[in-house]
Amino acid sequence: MAENADIVIGIPSYNNAKTVGHVIRAVDAGLAKYFPDKKAVIINSDGGSKDGTSEVIKNAVIDHNALLIQHPLSMAHRITTPYHGIPGKGSAIRTVFQTAVDMGASACAIVDSDLRSITPEWIELLISPVLKEGNDFVAPLYDRHKFDGTITNSIVYPMTRAFYGKRIRQPIGGEFGFSGNMAEFYLKQDVWETDVARFGIDIWMTTEAIANDFRVCQAFLGAKIHDPKDPGSDLSEMLVQVVSSLFDLTEKHSDKWKEVKGSVDVSTFGFRYHVGLEHVKVNVERMLKIFREGQNNLKGMWLDIIGSGDLGEVLVLGALSDKDFRFPLKLWTRIIYDYAIAYHKKKLPPQHLIKSLVPLYLGKTASFVMEVEEMDKDGAEAEIEKLCMEFEANKEYLVNSWK
Amino acid sequence: MEGFLNLILEPINEVYLKFKGFFPNLLAMLTIIIIGVFVAWLVKTVLLKFFRAIKFDSWCDRMGFTALLRKADIWSKPADIFAVAVYWFMIIGFLMVGFSALNIQAIDSLVSQFFLYLPRAFSAVVILLIGYMVAGFLGRAVLIAAVNSGLHYAKLLAEAVRLLLTVLILAMALEQLQVAPSIVVAAFSIIFGGIVIALAISFGVAGIDPARRMIESGGEEKKKEKGDVEHV
Repeated sequence: MAENADIVIGIPSYNNAKTVGHVIRAVDAGLAKYFPDKKAVIINSDGGSKDGTSEVIKNAVIDHNALLIQHPLSMAHRITTPYHGIPGKGSAIRTVFQTAVDMGASACAIVDSDLRSITPEWIELLISPVLKEGNDFVAPLYDRHKFDGTITNSIVYPMTRAFYGKRIRQPIGGEFGFSGNMAEFYLKQDVWETDVARFGIDIWMTTEAIANDFRVCQAFLGAKIHDPKDPGSDLSEMLVQVVSSLFDLTEKHSDKWKEVKGSVDVSTFGFRYHVGLEHVKVNVERMLKIFREGQNNLKGMWLDIIGSGDLGEVLVLGALSDKDFRFPLKLWTRIIYDYAIAYHKKKLPPQHLIKSLVPLYLGKTASFVMEVEEMDKDGAEAEIEKLCMEFEANKEYLVNSWK
Repeated sequence: MEGFLNLILEPINEVYLKFKGFFPNLLAMLTIIIIGVFVAWLVKTVLLKFFRAIKFDSWCDRMGFTALLRKADIWSKPADIFAVAVYWFMIIGFLMVGFSALNIQAIDSLVSQFFLYLPRAFSAVVILLIGYMVAGFLGRAVLIAAVNSGLHYAKLLAEAVRLLLTVLILAMALEQLQVAPSIVVAAFSIIFGGIVIALAISFGVAGIDPARRMIESGGEEKKKEKGDVEHV
């Protein structure tokens, strides 16, 4: 019989020795500062790191006096364990769910091990909405540069919001808080031998929580800065992982989302403030070049997916000069819905289907960057809001075409 | 006079006796063919109903078979074509079995040759079908990957890959059918080798300038990519 714990914090890792020490110290300090009377466990679910990640975790120490916090009643217990099953973040998180259920935890959180901007307050913001407010799932809300998170902004957020009616701004954030009941629910789902175990765990957790009517909220964590991603990681692969997970969930919950109309805000915890973020370079010219290459070479494929009407509009776009290039929101919405239908009807192998979306996505991203270039963050957010409203307004089209 | 009559009747009698001996075989052949035609028709009807039930035509549309048939100016439904192909295959099979019932040595050897050749013909058809699918899949994968990398000659590259695979598959099918195997292998080696050398030379010649720029810039482009927008 496993020992009991009130709080379980999961940290999935794979070769994160450079950053995981900071993450552990922040989590430890957060637990000591905000939950000194709770019994807590930090579980590192590791994918077989070879750079000494587990040693860094074991040896990371925190000076409570320096942080002006009292020593907690009991120090957070640290466990490092390799996860089993298919290699991937999903399997790592499954181990966290299992630990939380075995220990009868009331509240849990998951934080990435490559974070550089995590502070002790993140733990409070992810755990308190569960312990004190009775929420089952806490999604993160970050302050990001207006050009960052474009897959989230142009596909994942508008679609999740239009489909399930809850305005969760970062459905694939990476950090989450959740209740013991939620962990038990996740654990019971028969997905651990599928792609959810490899990737797509973030959108899966968010969507399952909303679609199954758990109490959801979001917590403002400030800026998210993490270790630079592998420069070799390919945009097409990223898009395939995110969008195929999203479309798979659309397939699974088709009875649910067809009934949903409009969307509502969810409770947001934390003090909102703007952070001075690093400038983000965007190569609009290259994006438009790939859009036009797609137009010249993938026309036939696009015709089968989006139909002749929308293809005509896309071809008109390609003839515009870079300066005048603007991707109409309505057209983008219809394209995403048509791709969802094509995925549902298996018109092409999933990888090919979603990869053929890349030039269109880059066209849309280039257009967004040019539109909001002179705007402040709120102006850019207003543009994303307009897109979300289009997704909600055009949802009927998808409902009618879904057979 | 009797001798003369015998001279006439004997061959007639011989023909009659031969015919009498041959008649059951002829009857057996006709029976086999008639039953064969009926069985083939029955199988065709059942197959058509089965294909309709599993929506075979829609599956063919998705896999690109229908498009392939249209390219070959064949406008019937894929389910009809497959059912008719099976029907005629069975008819030919039953005809061969029927002919072998005649017990004529020349026909017997022809029939046995036909049946010995069947596995090869079947393998060749399977190679062509799988090859067509693989060539289509890889051609499309190359096209999409090239477009997403911003390559200007994406279509040309994809077509080259498809052509190479088609040549390879055709050579494999012909070799399987034992159609002049030594000529097929030689022709394949010449054509395939020629295409590869042509591609290597054209890629090398066309790539001189980009390669020089890449070396001169010292990986500057890569740095640019690194500082680019974060998509997720």
